[in-house]
Amino acid sequence: MNSILWIELVVGIIVSFTLLGIFIWGVKQGQFDDGKKMMNGLLNDSTEDLQDAIKKDEKVKKLKEDKKEREKIGEKKG
Amino acid sequence: MSKIIPCSHCHLEFDESMMIVENENSNTDPTLHFCCNGCQGVYHLLKDDGLESFYDKLGKNTLSKPLARGDDSAKFDLESFASRYIKKTDEGFSQVHLIIEGIHCAACIWLNEKVLDQTDGVVDVSINFTNNKAKITWDEDIMKLSSIIDKIRSIGYNAYPYDRTDSEIKATKNKKDFFLRMSIAIFASMNVMMIDVAKYTGYFTGIDEEMLRIIHMAEFIFATPVLFYSGWIFFRGAYYGLKNRMINMDFLVSAGATLTYIYSIYVLFGGPGDSYFDSVAMIITFVLVGKYLEVLGKKSAVDTMDQIKSQIPLEATIIVDDGKKVVALDEINIDDIIEVKTGEKASVDGVVISGCSSFDESSISGESFPVDKKIDDKIFSGTINTQSVIRYKATKNYANSTLNHIVELLEDSLNSKPKIETTTNEMSKYFSIMILSLALGTFMGWYFYEGSFEHSLIIGISVIIIACPCALALATPIASLVGISWLSKEGLLFKEAKFIETFSKIDAVVFDKTGTITTGELSVKETSISLTKEELNILYSISDSSTHPVSIAVKKYLEKRYEDLSHLELQNIEQLPALGIQAYYNDNIVYGGRLENNVEYATTIYHFTINDKLLVTFELEDKLRDDAIETVKYFKNKKIKTILCSGDNKQAVANIADEIGVDHFNAKMSPIAKADYIKSLRDAKKVVVMVGDGVNDSLALSRADISIAMGNGADIAIAISDIVILNDKLSGIVKSHYISSRTFRFIKQNLSISLIYNIVTIPFAMAGFVIPLIAALSMSLSSLLVVGNSLRIRKKSVFKKENR
Repeated sequence: MNSILWIELVVGIIVSFTLLGIFIWGVKQGQFDDGKKMMNGLLNDSTEDLQDAIKKDEKVKKLKEDKKEREKIGEKKG
Repeated sequence: MSKIIPCSHCHLEFDESMMIVENENSNTDPTLHFCCNGCQGVYHLLKDDGLESFYDKLGKNTLSKPLARGDDSAKFDLESFASRYIKKTDEGFSQVHLIIEGIHCAACIWLNEKVLDQTDGVVDVSINFTNNKAKITWDEDIMKLSSIIDKIRSIGYNAYPYDRTDSEIKATKNKKDFFLRMSIAIFASMNVMMIDVAKYTGYFTGIDEEMLRIIHMAEFIFATPVLFYSGWIFFRGAYYGLKNRMINMDFLVSAGATLTYIYSIYVLFGGPGDSYFDSVAMIITFVLVGKYLEVLGKKSAVDTMDQIKSQIPLEATIIVDDGKKVVALDEINIDDIIEVKTGEKASVDGVVISGCSSFDESSISGESFPVDKKIDDKIFSGTINTQSVIRYKATKNYANSTLNHIVELLEDSLNSKPKIETTTNEMSKYFSIMILSLALGTFMGWYFYEGSFEHSLIIGISVIIIACPCALALATPIASLVGISWLSKEGLLFKEAKFIETFSKIDAVVFDKTGTITTGELSVKETSISLTKEELNILYSISDSSTHPVSIAVKKYLEKRYEDLSHLELQNIEQLPALGIQAYYNDNIVYGGRLENNVEYATTIYHFTINDKLLVTFELEDKLRDDAIETVKYFKNKKIKTILCSGDNKQAVANIADEIGVDHFNAKMSPIAKADYIKSLRDAKKVVVMVGDGVNDSLALSRADISIAMGNGADIAIAISDIVILNDKLSGIVKSHYISSRTFRFIKQNLSISLIYNIVTIPFAMAGFVIPLIAALSMSLSSLLVVGNSLRIRKKSVFKKENR
């Protein structure tokens, strides 16, 4: 009986500390910097918003590539 | 009959007959109502961009009307601007920090982020809801900053840049650090408390040794990060305290927690007694939450300062030999000639040398009516030109100008906001020293008496445990919570709970006049008018030709007094700066405004002449708020000194002071004089409350022990104040004082309860009679007593009964 409890204790602690680790990662990423926005995050949780987020990622990627390209051309000319 | 309905864009409510209606007769589209063209424009823009889901997100929240679109966005592309505000990222993109005006809710943030994300060239947008600051990264090769600002303005908001100071970066980092430490402490404490349920249930139902060891081990694992990671700041504080030969609160918290922790480890590894890892976690968590609130307060002071600084004009136009030149504020020298266009702010102090105009001096005097300026009149920096272009000669450079002086003083006083040492802090300081000495005494006593180190240690530590400041720690927050929630239901926002205590101890209340004691709106004094019907209509038409507050007041007065007024066609309407309006009607010269007859009037005057013949003179006055007299009376009954301060002339202030019955009044006070006056009161050991509404009051507000802003006051005044009266009624101050005093009375009761509990139980613990079960039970009981007592604060109708 007690050995099961020991296993449960270990598993429980591993799970909770993993979750805590994810939370700490979130804090360091700045996800909790803005208390009010975080609490209202539910409002921006639609499929449409998720799609927009993907589109935004693609747009940023393209912008970065274009920028590099332009810099290369500029260097060659220079 | 017309009804009140909300605008389809901003959701503010207006009379249906006044609104712009769309799709009224359409069967397919819903009928739309707009309060103004701005709302209509923004609504269609969002619809065209496929962003109408904004209105679902907005819900029942209201927006402010779209801000007027400025045409000055080109200045954001100037070199001087870029070098100051725009930074380059590692990837070569540009980055700017902006403050966005007009944000009310999460939907506003969503809309701004969405619109900017959809804009070509924008790499990243992140808007902070708490302080409305935005960080925007974009590609300057694709678009200019001015286009980004224009985009924000097109959807009804406004944006201006701010300088990201070191203090802000530091405050943000500090806040994040505390947040992480506090979150981990709360997470671990909650787990420990859950495990505690099993532990204490086990005491009643029986628990075997092995099981107890598992529980203690789990508690040990959770309490360790709380003590060493979250509680690290207390160890650090204690170290610096000891270095300066001081035993501070941090030392007591860390010493208490560490002793309990060490003893609990001893129990965990086979020692007799019970472990108290739960107490370790709870003590650290409680105190840490309090510290985090302090850090938040400091962060908001930094945010307020950024808001104030961003209002300062960036550059000024000076006149040089070969024309005009735009220079940065620091480059303006004394005797330079500066040109100020309509709508611009004066950047340094000076004297008018050509042209005449009106200036909005509300940031200096608090008076909302424009002040007329002609040659040789003084111009103050920070005031806004409201009428026509003028040129003036600088008499001071920027560093010595009024505006910079105020900003510097404000920065100083925000960083050193007066703090009253709170009763609990003071008490727990002595309390902790007493408990530590008692525990030490008990340990030594038992050791010398009995000779058993182990038993003496257990008894010594049980003294610390039973005196666990749970009830003491709860005494203030629980009562404050009940008080604060009552206050907020009454529309009275206290920014921090500690103001409850300060407010209940005040000695003097200082009121601002215009906008606080009075409504700040001009109204015409009853006058006998003997005009013909035609003359009356001419007067009505000319008063309707100007947007000057005096003209508007006269127009309103006429509309109220006469029913069948009609508009006449006036020709060649001309605004005479600093005076009034002149026009022609059937070849007669008609004039409405102030006549230059060298007479000093105590109040604001409006003359009406036809062909230079004076037909009627109106006297205008500022109206008292309905509840001004009762408010002053309440404080006088409580033996609290009431004082009226104003930038207005002595006669006007004396009249109002007499009417409301304040103990004392001061007239012609500049913002700095007001602040000095507050300081002098505080130097005389008085606890001072300042009630104000304008930008000119902000310095005095920042100097007072408690500052109260009326809800419709200037943004800066609201940002600086400690208490905001949302419903804009003076009776709110009376209610705030009453509720604060009542709450503070209960805080004191709670503290007495927890102290009596300790006085009764500690001797038992010292005598070695207390077993852990009794300790746990009595601890909970004292906490319950404190909570129960606090719930009595909010009793319905108690306010009315006691003030009858």
